[in-house]
Amino acid sequence: MFTRRDFLRTTSLVTAAPFVPTFLAKTSRAATPVADDRVLVVIQLDGGNDGLNTVVPYGDDGYGRARKALRLKESDLLRIDDHVGLHPRMKGAKQLFDDGRLAIVQGVGYPNPDRSHFSSMRIWQSGRRHDADLEAYGWLGRTLDLTRGNGSASVDAEAFFVGNQATPFALWGRRCGATALTELSDLTLDGSFPPLRDSDRTDLGSFVTRQMRSAYTAAEAFAHAEQAAVASRTSYPSTEIASHLSVVAKLLRIGSSARVFYASQTGYDTHASQLYTHGNLLREFSDALKAFLDDLRANGLDERVVVLAFSEFGRRVAENDSKGTDHGAAGPVFVAGAPINGGLYGKTPDLSALIDGDLPLGVDFRSVYATLLDQWVGVSSEEVLGERYDPLPLI
Amino acid sequence: MNASPPRGWQRYEPSDSAPWDLQRVVHLHRRAGFGADWEALQRDLDEGPDAAIDRLLNPQQDPAFERLAATIGDAATASGNPNRLKAWWVFRMLKSPDPLGERLTLLWHNHFATSNRKVNNLVWMREQNDLLRRHARAPFGDLLRAVVKHPAMLTWLDADSNRKGRPNENLGRELMELFTLGAGAYAETDVAAAARALTGWTITRQAFEFRESRHDDSELTILGQTSPLDGDGLLDLLLARPETARRVANRLGGLLMGEGAIDHEAINSLAAGLQRNGLNIGWGVETILRSEAFFRDDNLRTRVTSPAQHAIGALRSLRLADSPPSSLLVAEWIARMGQDLFYPPNVGGWTEGRSWLSTRTLIARANFASALAEGALWRSPDEVDLVVGLPPGSGPIVERLSLLFWGVAAPDSVPALAKDDEPTTAEAIARLLSLPDSTLG
Repeated sequence: MFTRRDFLRTTSLVTAAPFVPTFLAKTSRAATPVADDRVLVVIQLDGGNDGLNTVVPYGDDGYGRARKALRLKESDLLRIDDHVGLHPRMKGAKQLFDDGRLAIVQGVGYPNPDRSHFSSMRIWQSGRRHDADLEAYGWLGRTLDLTRGNGSASVDAEAFFVGNQATPFALWGRRCGATALTELSDLTLDGSFPPLRDSDRTDLGSFVTRQMRSAYTAAEAFAHAEQAAVASRTSYPSTEIASHLSVVAKLLRIGSSARVFYASQTGYDTHASQLYTHGNLLREFSDALKAFLDDLRANGLDERVVVLAFSEFGRRVAENDSKGTDHGAAGPVFVAGAPINGGLYGKTPDLSALIDGDLPLGVDFRSVYATLLDQWVGVSSEEVLGERYDPLPLI
Repeated sequence: MNASPPRGWQRYEPSDSAPWDLQRVVHLHRRAGFGADWEALQRDLDEGPDAAIDRLLNPQQDPAFERLAATIGDAATASGNPNRLKAWWVFRMLKSPDPLGERLTLLWHNHFATSNRKVNNLVWMREQNDLLRRHARAPFGDLLRAVVKHPAMLTWLDADSNRKGRPNENLGRELMELFTLGAGAYAETDVAAAARALTGWTITRQAFEFRESRHDDSELTILGQTSPLDGDGLLDLLLARPETARRVANRLGGLLMGEGAIDHEAINSLAAGLQRNGLNIGWGVETILRSEAFFRDDNLRTRVTSPAQHAIGALRSLRLADSPPSSLLVAEWIARMGQDLFYPPNVGGWTEGRSWLSTRTLIARANFASALAEGALWRSPDEVDLVVGLPPGSGPIVERLSLLFWGVAAPDSVPALAKDDEPTTAEAIARLLSLPDSTLG
């Protein structure tokens, strides 16, 4: 009696398959330049992160005046320099910063801020500011449209969204789409499968057989990768964002050809009793980021990956009456990874020069995008963003 | 129907090289529907091709089914939960007496690819779906006018922000590139002019409205013709172009014909025939289904099935739709296989054919096969009787299933089985549905 599961136990498809699956992409599509191997990972901090309590300008008297209930003690902060420090719970991020793998860009936003989550997120995700453009395509979707190889026979994903929500607008392209991966099991075969006989009846028949064997082989490679991850003892915290990033790392480890990965951490819409919740969110984010970059380093992938973390807006400087903060404007953006020049960028906000009670715009978010597009991804930022923006010396 | 079909589409008469056999009956049902159960296959084998094709083209109405489907649809839109709307459509595909109509609705959903991601209105998405179904076999112009003037499309392509002096080109561009002419048949100046022709179209109180005051009534030059033109005039102009007929012909060919089974010339003659017949979609479908080309050997099992077709086809041919599985779960599996109903990836819709078969989606197909065989699509695995739709007889289970799915006892890809290997029904179903032949139809 031959069952499906017996087959999986007795046969290693990786050794059984006489070719490299397309999923283990670049190796099989050889002549691709090294630059193509560069990967951008975007983390969306969903709900409007209170930037002022993330990268804290403790040296500014205005901070203590504006924040009574939410004020973080200077002695608890993780000092960056004489003016700013990171939230005490961002130890992972601080280690990355000290290691030169984290850049913090202060005061990032866009002119005439819109405090609606929806429109503000739309603006960040589109990379445009004019109303008419916001309805078109996402900035990463347009990027993928431009990088898409001509006549490529590949049918694998160009981008992955790892998460439970709908694929974010940022990834919508005119011609490119992202694969939304909700769980690891999406790449895991539940049973075994029948041995596949080679078919040379038609070109299509052999394509399907090849593709199918490649998929089943990738599933097995993926299963091996999972085991390898345990063996190498790279441990991720047991949080949702960490688990999403661990999926990204696994996809990279087994050789996914996707160049853009996207994950989001929800919960930043902290209008009330913010102190504890916000600290937890930042700890989850920063520990997950640290685990992710360490995992990449352990697997020799860290020179290929740059991470961008953003939120659609910061919160207001003044706290509200429910020990929370309401929707504001500019905030910090994080760029992380081995290839970047770590450090503090942008002017530390001056709390005596607020605009309508909000932090003023220091760096247009599209300058950050432009830097990544031109200098990392290798596509024309002007084409993606519709205008030229001054780059930052991040890379 | 014209007396003589266009060149390349001569009528099929069973012959020694293309007999009316089980394989061709299965082929007809897989292409023009979601596969058929054993009983229907035997009936059609007995009654011959004309009766079988007639039944697909002119299905019996079933008012009880329509009433039930409408109730489910109402509940879905009222719930505000898009998954329930997907389940509604899956229910229709599972149980409809008109499988060809549902396949055509899917085709037009992809042609007029509209995503609820942006429309964000289940009532409109359902209305659009019903429009696609109602006009699925109509003259293409009726379908086009109904769909582009519906709020779902107007929202999807920003018609609201297209007004005199501030044209938004989105609708104008996609109208030409995707809905009618196809890329390469127009210039950028035509797109700009088309956008101006469409100014004034908007949505008022949940419905299409033409607002004269926002309309740009200056003379416009589109595709070499100069005149003052409004949106309706633009549609008429585009519908009259031979490129539009060719695009419709290509769509129908893509739905019903396999990879490489027809050439340019056959498409051109089908397009010309469509133009002579007022772009009547039903005429086009009938021409293809009754043709010798459709039943030729090189058109058998040469088309990659879509996820919906794959899932619904397995359930319908095994008669597992009789004790319906959870349509919510089936819709979720179809999405995992790459076809999230009401959420096409972009304006171009799903890239069909070989693109359906990526690593992740093939793993999903294999896992769907396991889930089906294990009864995981039903609330309780006990609810499903996997044996109910098996062809009768005492032959090996793999062989009987193979006859049901593909009309042949052992297609190329079924590996020879060891003598003592007699899998259970569940194992056999899971195995066969994970074979290359299951992705082809």
